[in-house]
Amino acid sequence: MRKPIVFTSEQEMPPMAVSLADMGHNRTGSWRYLRPVYSEKLAPCKNACPLGNDIPRILSLVSEGHYEDAWRLFRETSPLPGVCGRVCYHPCESFCNRKNFDEALSIAAIEWFVADACFDLEDAIPERPHRSERVAVVGSGPAGLACAYFLAKDGYAVTVFEAASQPGGMLRLGIPHYRLPREVLDREIELIARWGVEFRTNTKIGQDIEIETLWEQHDALFIATGAHRSRALNIPGEELALTGLEFLKAVNTGKPPEIGKRVLVIGGGNTAMDCARTALRLGAQPVVVYRRTREEMPAIVEEIEEAEHEGVQFEFLAAPVAIHDLHGKLEVQAIRMRLGEPDTSGRRRPIPIPGSDFILRADTVLTAVGEEPDLSFLAEHLETSEGIVIERAQGLLERAGIFIGGDAQSGPSTVAQAMRSGKEAAQAIKSFLQGQRKPKSLKLEEALRVNFSYFTHKPRVPTPQLPVAERISSFAETKRPISAEQARAEARRCFSCGVCNLCDNCWVFCPDAAITRVNGSYEVNYDFCKGCGICAEECPRNVISLIEEEL
Amino acid sequence: MTPTLTGTKKVVTGNHAVSYGALLARVQVISAYPITPQTQIVELLSEFCATGALRAKFIKVESEHSAMAALIGASSAGARTFTATSAHGLALMHEMLHWAAGARLPIVMANVNRAMGPPWSVWTDQNDSLSQRDTGWMQVYCESNQEVLDTVLQAYKVAEKVLMPAMLVLDAFVLSHTAEPIEIPDQKLVDEYLPPYRPIYKLDVNDPRSFGALAPPDVYMELRYKMHQAMEEALTEWAHADEEFSELFGRRYGSIEPYRADDADLIVVTSGTVTSTAREVIDELRAQGRRVGLLKVRLFRPFPAQLVRAALAGAKKIAVIDRNISFGMGGIFAQEIKSALYNAPERPPIFGFIAGLGGRDITPTVIREIIDYTESHDEPEDLIWVGVKR
Repeated sequence: MRKPIVFTSEQEMPPMAVSLADMGHNRTGSWRYLRPVYSEKLAPCKNACPLGNDIPRILSLVSEGHYEDAWRLFRETSPLPGVCGRVCYHPCESFCNRKNFDEALSIAAIEWFVADACFDLEDAIPERPHRSERVAVVGSGPAGLACAYFLAKDGYAVTVFEAASQPGGMLRLGIPHYRLPREVLDREIELIARWGVEFRTNTKIGQDIEIETLWEQHDALFIATGAHRSRALNIPGEELALTGLEFLKAVNTGKPPEIGKRVLVIGGGNTAMDCARTALRLGAQPVVVYRRTREEMPAIVEEIEEAEHEGVQFEFLAAPVAIHDLHGKLEVQAIRMRLGEPDTSGRRRPIPIPGSDFILRADTVLTAVGEEPDLSFLAEHLETSEGIVIERAQGLLERAGIFIGGDAQSGPSTVAQAMRSGKEAAQAIKSFLQGQRKPKSLKLEEALRVNFSYFTHKPRVPTPQLPVAERISSFAETKRPISAEQARAEARRCFSCGVCNLCDNCWVFCPDAAITRVNGSYEVNYDFCKGCGICAEECPRNVISLIEEEL
Repeated sequence: MTPTLTGTKKVVTGNHAVSYGALLARVQVISAYPITPQTQIVELLSEFCATGALRAKFIKVESEHSAMAALIGASSAGARTFTATSAHGLALMHEMLHWAAGARLPIVMANVNRAMGPPWSVWTDQNDSLSQRDTGWMQVYCESNQEVLDTVLQAYKVAEKVLMPAMLVLDAFVLSHTAEPIEIPDQKLVDEYLPPYRPIYKLDVNDPRSFGALAPPDVYMELRYKMHQAMEEALTEWAHADEEFSELFGRRYGSIEPYRADDADLIVVTSGTVTSTAREVIDELRAQGRRVGLLKVRLFRPFPAQLVRAALAGAKKIAVIDRNISFGMGGIFAQEIKSALYNAPERPPIFGFIAGLGGRDITPTVIREIIDYTESHDEPEDLIWVGVKR
C-alpha cells in the first residue's frame, strides 16, 4: 500500500486539484457494494418462441448481411424456417420489447426472407457417432418432422410412418397453398431426409401396420398422428355437410370438390378461415356462421382480417340447428344467439334466443367446429379425455418407450407448438434410450429492461401482400417476402435484448475506466469498480446485472 | 463570410470582431447557447467551422451552464476553448465559472453587457458581468471593436500563461451591433504572438489523472492562495501581453488608460464605451481651459490597484461613472476605486455616479453634468443618480 503524498508548502503543490500519483493506496473497488457482472439474458422473443430460436443473434447476422449464417442458426433450433416464416403465428413478435417503443420487429418476415434467400443451401452434415437404436415416428406433421430431425442429428436411425402419400401431415393436407407453397415444404422435408431419416408413406398405423409391430421393431416410438378427426355438430342433416378438413385435404391434394356458389362455413377457428378463403378461391361466395361475435373467434386475428379483406362474409351470433336437402340445394335452419356470462374458456357463452329461427340457403355446408386426435389404434395403451392424452397416461407410455406429442397429445394447436413438442420428445427419447433423466434446463432471466434512450423510432417493415383481386383468383401465396434491403433494415431495428453486441456503452460510460475491452468482450477491473451501476444503467440491452456484494 | 484575407481592414460589428479574434486565435472547441445580443458572435464562428475556415469542434448545447461545462471538459483535455454569452446566460453559467477558475482552465469568453431582467431588457449595462466578480475570472472592459478583437488575442496570451479564465466584455449594441473599420491582424503574426496552448496537466488516457477531487482543509487554502497569486501575476502578464502585442501589431491599450490626466484637478473614471464619449467631452472642456482628465479602467480583474492609485494621486476630485449598481451600496467601480485608495497616502474625494442603466444613453451632456456637479460640490457623495426622473 502506497502512502499518500503529503505537501509541506504551497510551492510543492500543483496549481489545481490534480492527482500526482495513482490511487494505489486507496483502490476505489473497496467502496463497492454492488458488483456489475456481464450476464447475458434471455430475449423475450427467444423465450416466447416455442422452438427457442436464437432470434437476437439471428437478427444480428441478418443485419450484417450474413444470411447463410442466419439460416444455419435457425436450423440449430428448427428444421422448418421456411414453413414457420410463413405460417407461424409468431409469439416472438407479441413479446418483442420494441413494441413498447414503437412497433415490434417483423421477425416472421425476416425468417421467411432468410429461408428464401437460402433455399438452395444444405446442412453441412458432420461425422457423428452412429447409434444402433432405432426410433419410429408415427406421423410426419410438424411434431413428427421435428422429432425425426433432432434424433437424426444425433445419429439415431429414424423411420417416419405416414398414412398419406406424401409427408407433411397437416402442413400439407390442412394448410392451403396460398399460405404455404408446397415447394417450400418439400424442400425442408428433403433436407430432413438428408440427415438419414427414412419416410414410409401410404402407411397408416392400425391399418397398414400395427402399433405392436412397430414397437417390436424399434427401441422407441413417437406418436405424432395429429388431430384429424373433425368434431361433429350433432344436428339433424349433418351428413349433408362436408367437414372442413376433408374439404381442405381434397383441395390441397389437387382434387377440389364441386361446391357451388353459396358456401356456408360453420365455425370460427383457423380451419374455418382456411375453408372460407379456399372456397373463395374456387369461385364461391363463402359465409362464415359463428355462434358468438368476432371478439370471441378462436382464429388468429390476422387470419380473420385477411378473410375480411378478401371478401368473406360473416354471420355472427348464429348457430345451425338442422340441415335440410331441398331439391339438391341445402337449407340450414339456424337460430340467433346472444352472449351470456363467460364460460370456462373466459369467452362469453352463447345462449339461443327462443323463437329466433331463420333459414340460410347454401350449395355447400362446411363444418369446422374443431378437430380432435383419433387415437383408436392406441386405445388400450392410454387414457384420454375428450381425445386429449392425459398426463398420467403419458408417463406410462414413456416407461414403455412410447412417446406421444403434437396435436395428438394436446389437441389442435399451432405448427410451432407441435414442433416444440416433437423436439421435446426427441430429447425425452434420447434420455430414455440412454437411461438418463431429462437434463434440467436452466431458465435464464428475461431481458426486459431496455434503455430506450439509445434507440430512434423507426417503423416496422410492412408485409407485402398481393392485391385482393389477384389473391382470390388463384392459390398463389398472398403474402410476399420482403427484400434483402428491407430484411437488413428491419433486423437493424432489433434491440438485441440481453445479448451483448459490443456497443461499447459500458466501456465509454465507466467513470472509473474500470471496464476494459478484452478479446471481443469486456472485463471489469474490480480493484477500481466502485459499483456505481452506470454501466448497467447505460447498457441499452440489459446485459449487465448488479449483484449485491456479500459483506 | 469565409475570411480569406487577414492583415486587412474590414468593417465589422463588435460581435463579429470577437468572432474574428477567436478565429485568429485558432480556438479548438466552441460551445455556446444563443442569446441576444451575443448570438452573432457564435453564429459567425459556426459558419467558420462549417466552411472549414476554423478547424474547431462546435458543440451545441441546451444551456449556457452546459456550454461552460463542455468547455471545462475540453479545456481540461488541453484544447483552446471559447464561448460567448450575455446577461441571463452568464448568470446561468455561474456555478461553472467557479469551476473553470478553480480548475485553472484558461477558457476565454466574450460577454456582451446586457441589463438583467426583470424587467426584461436587451440593452447594455454592466450588472451581468460585475455579478461574476468573485468567480476568479479575469475581466476586461473594451471600448472599441478593434480593442475587442485584440483583447481576444491578449486574453488567451495571459490566461494560458497564468492559468486563469478570462472574460472580455463589450457593451450591448453600442459595440456589439455597431460596425467600425478595424484591422484584421495577419494570421502569421497572430500565430507568432499566440503559440498553441500546451497545458502542464491535461486529461490524457495515456497519463491518467484525477482532476477536481476532494481537497481536505489542509490543502484547500493553499490552492486558493495560488489562485490569488496567479491573479497578481496576471497584472504583470497583461502588461507584458500588451507590450508584446504593440511590438507586433502597433497597438496597445494598457490595463488602465489615463487621458489628459497628468495635470487634471478632476478625473472622470469610466469603463467600456462611455470612455469614448468622455474623451470628446474632456477635449471640449480642456479647450475651454478646464483642468479635467479621464481614466479608463480596462482591466477590472485582476484590479490594477497600484496603477489606479498612481493615476489618481494628483487629482483634487474623482468622478466615477458606473453603468451598474450594487443595490444597497452603490456603483461597483466606485467601490473598487475607493477600496484601492483607502490605504494610499493620497486619497482624493470620490463622487460616485450611477448612469445609463438598461441601455439609457450616456451622452456628452450627461458627462458634462457629472463634471459640473463634481466641480460645484465640495463634499464627496457616494451615490448620485444621474437622470432619474423624480
